[in-house]
Amino acid sequence: MTAAGGPLPPLLTVGVVVTAIALAGAVAKRFGQSVIPAYILAGIVLGPSVPRHLGPIRLAVVDPSGYIDVFAELGVVALLFFLGLHVSVGELLSNRRAILGSSALDFLLNYAAGFGLAILFGFSTLEALFVAGIVYMSSSAIITKSLIERGWIVEPESEPILGTLVAEDLLIAVYLTFLSSVVLGGDGLVDAALGVGRGFLLLGAVAVVGWRGTDLLDRFFASDSDELFLLRVFGVMALLAGVGLTLGVSEGVTAFFVGAALGPTDHAERIERVIDPARDLFAGLFFFGVGATTSLLALSSVAGFLAVALVVTTVTKLVSGTLGGKLYGLDSRRSFRVGVGLVARGEFSLVLAALAGSAAGDRLGSLVPEFAVGYVLVMSVLGTLLIRHEADLLALGGRLIPGYSAPQVDGGRA
Amino acid sequence: MTLYETTIPGVGRKFEIDCGTETLVALVHHDGKRELFRDGDDRHERLASLSDREARQLGSVLAGTYYQPVQLDDLEVPLGEAIIEWVRIDEESRLADTELGDATIWRETGATVIAVQRGRETVPSPDPEFVVESGDTVVALGTRDELAALDRLLGGR
Repeated sequence: MTAAGGPLPPLLTVGVVVTAIALAGAVAKRFGQSVIPAYILAGIVLGPSVPRHLGPIRLAVVDPSGYIDVFAELGVVALLFFLGLHVSVGELLSNRRAILGSSALDFLLNYAAGFGLAILFGFSTLEALFVAGIVYMSSSAIITKSLIERGWIVEPESEPILGTLVAEDLLIAVYLTFLSSVVLGGDGLVDAALGVGRGFLLLGAVAVVGWRGTDLLDRFFASDSDELFLLRVFGVMALLAGVGLTLGVSEGVTAFFVGAALGPTDHAERIERVIDPARDLFAGLFFFGVGATTSLLALSSVAGFLAVALVVTTVTKLVSGTLGGKLYGLDSRRSFRVGVGLVARGEFSLVLAALAGSAAGDRLGSLVPEFAVGYVLVMSVLGTLLIRHEADLLALGGRLIPGYSAPQVDGGRA
Repeated sequence: MTLYETTIPGVGRKFEIDCGTETLVALVHHDGKRELFRDGDDRHERLASLSDREARQLGSVLAGTYYQPVQLDDLEVPLGEAIIEWVRIDEESRLADTELGDATIWRETGATVIAVQRGRETVPSPDPEFVVESGDTVVALGTRDELAALDRLLGGR
């Protein structure tokens, strides 16, 4: 599907897209918002669906198929690679009881809410599995940024928030593996099972190399030149992700494992420094691409479900987070902040949506991604706003609920 | 005084310094940014947000190791009242192709020639018979006034 008036030449398209992302990001920063929804909106505006015109100006200039797709795939790969790089099992074991309890609550409440709602609204089991994942995953990127901005990062409530995010990140890798094998592995139970098996074999190999071969990896990636280092890391990442894709594992999952394998090496910090800019660029293109494949018309067809899901899953995150904070021994006010801090959803919901979009079958391939885009657009902004205005929220609660007094922070360490 | 160090995944490292009356928190981000907080009653109050360079400078001030390398504009080494100066001799100079003893530098200016540099060689405490050539650098010791007089003396024939 090309835009009316014919497609633009490739280089011009890339130029238009990156410029649009830059502008959208600048506007988002001006309003203290996350860049993710801004990038998606830029994609919606410039993509082939409505809006197509602004007066005499043609807006539908980007055809999301083709080269933008490749960039977007690289974005998913880079995002998940960094997620794997930061995954530290040590972190999970440091405060085992509290972290396991709070992440179990987080999973049970939010995942169940997503799955139940989807079934209630007539989605199939497979679609419901996707919806459940989409509403369960909080956004590490948006939340971490907001915590830093508000200074919550040094407060005791950041521990349960970040701990929950770490647990979610680990779980999503496993979950993505499972879902991608089902979606990409072909039809039929046997094919799917074989796909899952092949996928886990590849991941197992990567995991073993990461676990046993830290010295080997250290030597392999050692290079004086940042340029060669960048090429080497990016090459291994893209190559293995591509191999994974042909075996029926989502590219993101393999990238996650490659990242996790490199996490314990001496190169982790350098990867951070050298590859971060590339990740930001490709991730931006990915978010734009998600927007470009979204049609506002289709979005309206899931509007009812979207509205219900937004309300319900905001509440479930608030509740699961607050209870999780209690498990960490925080007082009421700080516990509530944990709930507030976990509301934002973002990049990983979209990664799941992209996986759903690659599936055959129009309902899973279109309805679920449309839902995810609408959901993330609202939840990313809402999550940021809630963190910023958490005090006003409590004051409002005090006015609306008779006999309710906002819990005070005792200032003491938990 | 206790120092707690914690890793914040994906952000950096947090250092809490218990100073008895209050607790200071330093957050070192992965990207080199540093933030300094003070523990308030409701929440931490952000005192400062510093770049890597600013943070190092502040740190060295606090540690009492701060020092600023001297800007040697015209290569002077302070020795109390006296300073050392390097003067390059060109063809125009009165000193070019003369013996040091004939130049009566010390009597006219009060500055003492302590060495002459020629190319990569340095001749320390040259004899009065030493012939200075153009291109040499004379190393002289004296007060500011004496060296100013030397500059005038060597400036032209």
